[in-house]
Amino acid sequence: MQKLLMIFLLFWVSLMANEAEDIIAKLDQNLRGKNIYIEMSMKITSMGHTRTMKMKNWAQGTKRSFVKTTYPPKDKGITFLSLDKQMWQYVPKIERVIKIPASMMLQNWMGSDITNDDVVRQSSLVDDYIPRILKKDGNIVTMELTAKEEAAVVWSKIVSKIDTLTYTSKEDLFYDEEDKVVRVFSYDKVKKVSGYFIATYWRVQGVDKKDSFTEIFIDDVKYDIEISDQYFRKSALKRFSR
Amino acid sequence: MFHFALKNILFYRGRSITTFILTFVSTMLFIVYVSMMDGSHRSMLHNALKVYTGAIEIYHKGYRDKGGNEYLIKDVKMVTDKLASIEGIEVYTSRYETYGLLSSQERSAASMVVGIQADKERVLSSIATALKEGEFLVNDSGNCLYMGEGLVKKLGIRLGDEVSFVGSASDNSFAADIFSLCGVFKTGSSEFDAGASFVSRKYFDTLMYAQNKASYITIKLEDLDMVDTINAKIIDLIDDENLESLTWKTLMKTMVEAMEVDSIFGYISLALFLVVIFFVIMIYGFINVSSRIKEFGVLRCIGLSKEKIFLLLFYEVIILSSLAVFLAAPISASICYYYSIHPIVIEGMSEMYKDYGLVSDEIPFDFNLFTILWNVALIYLLNILSVIYPYFYINAFKPIEATRHV
Repeated sequence: MQKLLMIFLLFWVSLMANEAEDIIAKLDQNLRGKNIYIEMSMKITSMGHTRTMKMKNWAQGTKRSFVKTTYPPKDKGITFLSLDKQMWQYVPKIERVIKIPASMMLQNWMGSDITNDDVVRQSSLVDDYIPRILKKDGNIVTMELTAKEEAAVVWSKIVSKIDTLTYTSKEDLFYDEEDKVVRVFSYDKVKKVSGYFIATYWRVQGVDKKDSFTEIFIDDVKYDIEISDQYFRKSALKRFSR
Repeated sequence: MFHFALKNILFYRGRSITTFILTFVSTMLFIVYVSMMDGSHRSMLHNALKVYTGAIEIYHKGYRDKGGNEYLIKDVKMVTDKLASIEGIEVYTSRYETYGLLSSQERSAASMVVGIQADKERVLSSIATALKEGEFLVNDSGNCLYMGEGLVKKLGIRLGDEVSFVGSASDNSFAADIFSLCGVFKTGSSEFDAGASFVSRKYFDTLMYAQNKASYITIKLEDLDMVDTINAKIIDLIDDENLESLTWKTLMKTMVEAMEVDSIFGYISLALFLVVIFFVIMIYGFINVSSRIKEFGVLRCIGLSKEKIFLLLFYEVIILSSLAVFLAAPISASICYYYSIHPIVIEGMSEMYKDYGLVSDEIPFDFNLFTILWNVALIYLLNILSVIYPYFYINAFKPIEATRHV
């Protein structure tokens, strides 16, 4: 009887682990597709005023990503490239390609509440984190993602509320090394595009900055389109800056 | 009793000379050691304040804990106008500090880039005197960058080379520019030299949209000992609950604590030395008194009271201590005074200990009359205490018994 119970317990634990991994895989798939092209607007509110930025993003899986800012005119043409956990930036004003050191991946990106890591989406929820289901409430599953020991990621833990009807996140809490919540991502306005679900409104709020937040509006998204390999070369930084 | 004590001192020459020498040496060592310890701490503090930190700094509340553009001082002029009316302030300046990415053709490094008013920094800090190569900034140096030696090595650049800067402006918008390396400094603090670079405030303000804004205002005083009084005046005059004015005691808390720990260990080793001296004087006194038991017995028999015996011993030790102290104190005070003006120089010491923040080869002494007086008083006290046990020892004998003591 005890053996049977033990086998049942192991089976149940393995089933839960598989389910958690399955949910995260589907969520990640919705975020990235095979490849993805996004046009987005970013509204940054801080110190009592608001700035708007616009950008385009081309990405292939987790390893290759290219971002180009298109607005405001002052920042137009600034490009970012991420290749195999390395990041470069091209600034037209100074006509320089700059390599962003790994130590700066946690730095805020262009004065917003998102980090360099978020922009290039270097860390993968599937490859770098161990998922665990904390709670199920109808179709909302609360999951804890703990960073793998060997993973070079900036967040030690992420707690996500995931809607299992669309496999999109409703809220992500990001924890630092001291297990304190550092920032909160909230998502809304989920749309179905080419068979994938994506939240078209994101809000990022730093926990210690009550008056500052960043809102991201997904203006256009295309999944699984053909993206030229030329976007993922260092020469693209300057070439596609114009 | 005094004359009697004087005669005894001259009669028991061996014990008198020993007590005199021990008191003389301990007074000399005590005064000189304390002066050197206080002097080196003062020097450490002055050097540290000279490098970059001011005696008083004014911040927007939250800047030191959280940092970021939200906590910049938004109206520098309003504060500096008020500072101008406070006496005792030698010079003040505002600094705009930001962290960004500096890149050469090959390498990148995160750095603290500071917009400074070069003419005021010359007086306020030792950044200008720490120049190693090239030239220091002037108020209108344009895109000239004055960079720490460690950072120059990290980026692999030379004078005249271009360095790109990428960071956030004061309104959190994107800021980027090309600087030219004009000067290299070495303060001795390896951490500072490997992470700091300076630009003329006028140029940097335009790039960072930081006109009339500052990370903090730093102040140099005419007399560092007046720091608390002047800080109280500043707080009173600024009268802004969003701003805080902090003295070096708060700004350099770690250093103050390290100096306190160092002082404690210094005084412990000094106390051990004084305890040894005390016991040596006491043992010599005890041996002397032991050999004079018969004499004390006779004195008691002819009517000398216990109190008079104590007075006799007290006079003996006071006369000997006074002779030693009156000779040792001026000599040691002269030594302290001389070395406070002409510090001991150990060539290469700062180079050897630069990683610990030592920026000078000099070890100055501290000449302070109050310190010398309390040192002398302590030596007197120890000498007086050293007669108590011998006094009780001889009083344990009855007068008749004492007269028969061999």
